[in-house]
Amino acid sequence: MIEARNVHKTFKTSDRREVKALVDFSTRIEKGEVVVIIGPSGSGKSTFLRCLNRLEEIDSGEIIIDGINIYDKKVNINEVREEIGMVFQLFNLFPHKTVLENITLAQLVVRGRNKEEATEIARGLLRKVGILEKENVYPSQLSGGQQQRVAIARALAMHPKIMMFDEATSALDPEMIGEVLDVMKTLAREGMTMVVVTHEMGFAREVSDRVVFMDEGQIVEEGTAEHFFTNPTHERTKLFLSQIL
Amino acid sequence: MTFNKRSLVTLLILAIILGASYYFFATRGITYIWHWEKIPQMLFYHGAKSAQDAVPRLRMGILMIGFVLTLKISVFSIFFAIIIGTVVGICRLSDEPVTRGLSLAYVELIRNTPLLVQIYIIYFFVGSLLRLSAFAAGTAALSIFAGAYVGEIVRAGIQSIHKGQMEASRSLGMGYAQAMRYVVLPQAFKRIIPPLAGQFISLIKDSSLVSVIALADLMFQGQQAVARTYHAFEIYFTVAFLYLVMTFTLSMATQYIERRLAISD
Repeated sequence: MIEARNVHKTFKTSDRREVKALVDFSTRIEKGEVVVIIGPSGSGKSTFLRCLNRLEEIDSGEIIIDGINIYDKKVNINEVREEIGMVFQLFNLFPHKTVLENITLAQLVVRGRNKEEATEIARGLLRKVGILEKENVYPSQLSGGQQQRVAIARALAMHPKIMMFDEATSALDPEMIGEVLDVMKTLAREGMTMVVVTHEMGFAREVSDRVVFMDEGQIVEEGTAEHFFTNPTHERTKLFLSQIL
Repeated sequence: MTFNKRSLVTLLILAIILGASYYFFATRGITYIWHWEKIPQMLFYHGAKSAQDAVPRLRMGILMIGFVLTLKISVFSIFFAIIIGTVVGICRLSDEPVTRGLSLAYVELIRNTPLLVQIYIIYFFVGSLLRLSAFAAGTAALSIFAGAYVGEIVRAGIQSIHKGQMEASRSLGMGYAQAMRYVVLPQAFKRIIPPLAGQFISLIKDSSLVSVIALADLMFQGQQAVARTYHAFEIYFTVAFLYLVMTFTLSMATQYIERRLAISD
């Protein structure tokens, strides 16, 4: 479903230093697979996610999603993005639109659905994430956990084939993390292909098919959650796990 | 909110009373004889206009005619300034160096030359080439002038919107234009209403400069009336008051819009 081949990505900082975010990065993610990416900050995990829907441009290499080389100049990236839902650390809900409008906007202008259909889909998803009663309020009136659940519903409304979560629970108060993780777990069990950057090791252990540990733009170690948390082989992995567990 | 409005009105009334009494006592020193009774007919009068149009009816006086022209030219200019400013503001942030450079050149050129010169150039040069009427030339000059300032305000507004908004829109499959139209610009406009209001109040007052190309706006008509009657104080006070009516209405309108848009905060 997703294949990254020899991806290089370098950022230029404001003082013109070069920071290597991805170094010869390759991986495959199968349909229905739930992959959790962990690693210290600056290890390139968020960059990798953002490269998967071309929010970043890459320096070299290729990323193929569903048979489409998304960095090909002939590819309409908007069509690719319709199929990849993304959930951000800071939710990024549209503050000037109500919860319902947040979820229907892209359905109307991108998918070309009519208003009734879009509203029906939105309500179904709000029920799924457990906040149907909030459809007419503005994001600022919601708690962080509720906002993130709306953001998930907004992404799901496009009926994407892949869902990406970029530290979706990192900006939440501790008591709200659970409600968002529950929604993510439900999705995982329904067979959604998911790429999840997170620090929630409980989530990784419970639902992931594979855990990828990244450092300095490369994969240091990957394997099942079982392998990962019981006998990691690399020193770097052991050190990281000992710091966060 | 009600407290603010009330204190604003109180302040305004106080200022008017203070100003009026100052001028009253100041003019006593120069034995000025007030003729306020001449003013109402400069606004509205009942009667015939000329031998050709002799039917007696309610007609607009000289100052009211000027008021209407100023109002018209201001409304048109504000409308076009918003369009120009939005386009320029977006172009200033373009990835395309040529687009970015041209929009910057426009802003710098217009902001750094006097409006009066621009009005002359547009009327006498561009206007003669394109056979523009004085009204069209005046509107064009004011729109282009205000458009440069509005462009910078719009640019700042767009830049003030968190880049996550654009990313979220794009990640849902929206194109750049769609994301701008539905997500970024509505939020930016809400944020730039206060500086825009200031800019448009300036524009209404700057519109008095179009009298130099023989447009009979409020200021022009005021000068004519003064030349004819010598009631300089009364007429200029009335002219000032009529400008105040326009600008104050605009202020109130923008505050109303601001309150309306604040519901999502």
